[in-house]
Amino acid sequence: MIELTVAVIQVLLLVLLAPLASGVTRKVRAKMHTRQGTSIFQDYYDLAKLWRRCEVQPGGAGLVSRAMPPIFLGTMVIIAAGLPLIARACPVPLLGDVITVLYLMALPRFMFSLAALDSAGSYTAVGGVRELLLGVLVEPALILTLMVLALACGSTNLGVMADSVASLAAYPPVAVVVAGVAFACACYVEMGKLPFDVAEAEQELQEGPLAEFSGPSLAMLKLGMSVKQLVVASLFVAVFLPFGAASVATPLGLAAGLVLFVAKLAFVMLAAAVIENAVMRVRYQYLGRYTWFVFGLAALSFVFLVIGI
Amino acid sequence: MLDFSLVNVLGACLIITSMAVVLARTGRVSAQFYALQSAVLVALFVALGAVTGSTELYLWSASAFATKVLLVPGILLFTLRKVGDSADVDLPPKLSPMKCVGLVAVEVFVCFVAVSGIDLPTAAAVKPTLAVALAHFFIGLTCIVIQRSIFKQIFGYCLMENGSHVALALLAPQAPELVEVGIATDAIFAVIILAVMVCRIARTTHTLDADDLAELKG
Repeated sequence: MIELTVAVIQVLLLVLLAPLASGVTRKVRAKMHTRQGTSIFQDYYDLAKLWRRCEVQPGGAGLVSRAMPPIFLGTMVIIAAGLPLIARACPVPLLGDVITVLYLMALPRFMFSLAALDSAGSYTAVGGVRELLLGVLVEPALILTLMVLALACGSTNLGVMADSVASLAAYPPVAVVVAGVAFACACYVEMGKLPFDVAEAEQELQEGPLAEFSGPSLAMLKLGMSVKQLVVASLFVAVFLPFGAASVATPLGLAAGLVLFVAKLAFVMLAAAVIENAVMRVRYQYLGRYTWFVFGLAALSFVFLVIGI
Repeated sequence: MLDFSLVNVLGACLIITSMAVVLARTGRVSAQFYALQSAVLVALFVALGAVTGSTELYLWSASAFATKVLLVPGILLFTLRKVGDSADVDLPPKLSPMKCVGLVAVEVFVCFVAVSGIDLPTAAAVKPTLAVALAHFFIGLTCIVIQRSIFKQIFGYCLMENGSHVALALLAPQAPELVEVGIATDAIFAVIILAVMVCRIARTTHTLDADDLAELKG
């Protein structure tokens, strides 16, 4: 019972905090541009407004376009329920497997690109292609680093991994640290932050597939994208920075784990926001230069794992 | 924690710092990373000395600190100042960073495979570090081959030299200081000679690009 409560708390926490996190990121950006900026609650207002609007779909759009926003948000919610965030064990063990999580992260991307083609706009299609390209480039590094950690901890369950990293039992320590660095870079790419993806402006190419959505669908997608940023950051925090998460499920321990988790997440998101504003967007021909470097780091961590240091 | 695993962790840190030396964009940052790597090397000697109980290794670490952490980076930074603001010092390497990292990973792996065939009683527990020492020879070679600036090629020589130093410490921790001076410490003279040559080449030809300098032969 307590596990289910934890899962529900995690989902509510990430979904309710996501617009706030996005609002704070915008505020940080505004401050770095020496602008006043909008309120940090602006995303909540936007979502409420969009939710009340009626929905308009382009003429050629079919089932995929209608189904994509709920699938996008729903997948993120499912991932959030399974991660070992405030306790070291997975609240829903079935969802806490690395392979499940990786596939669950691939599903929204697939649907996103499919919807981009489905809405029959030429700009959205280019945006969808960019999204797929990013996936192809970043997923090898994600998979390889998680595999290194799985081998180092002897399990593909995220809870077991978090437990063995938190108790410093993951064996070749340097391999785990290098994998952590590579995973942090890969997560940053996956978050869709600035050098790689969505900027704040909503031009056709930049938010690509979103251009053809409106009303509640757009609200769901916007919420889903901010939840995705939090989920990816939480995945990094859960697996590589599990220090402080509750090792036994007592109410006090869980409360302490919750507070610490929010603090760690806030730190990671703030760091990402600062990096985001210090760089400029890359042309997508050059994306590979950065992502292959991350893959190189992941490969190095794998070599360290093999030679046992 | 004070056992061979600490030595192995420091060995891995050597690989990471030497990658930073190869990948750094400017000669100044390379020199600073080289100083950092030498500091890791000194720590490795101290750790190895504590583990094996060899007093000679503490002496080695003292001489390595004086020559490698202080003198060699100092000489290189001084050379950089002598050469002046010639943009050639910071020429980009011929290989992209990603390929460099991949190449280093492959080299470390191949060296580990090579070392796992060696069966020495003194090196059984520190095989990963022995692989790192061997790999440094190839990382140094990589640095020399891919760098276009002859100033940065000096770092390749320094990395090779660090590798041989680590290998010597692992295989013969009881060797007297005189042997160490003969094998490792005298490398500082090579660095001085290379630095003087870089200065003179820069003054005469006004370029540090190895491709341009290749035109001079014959």
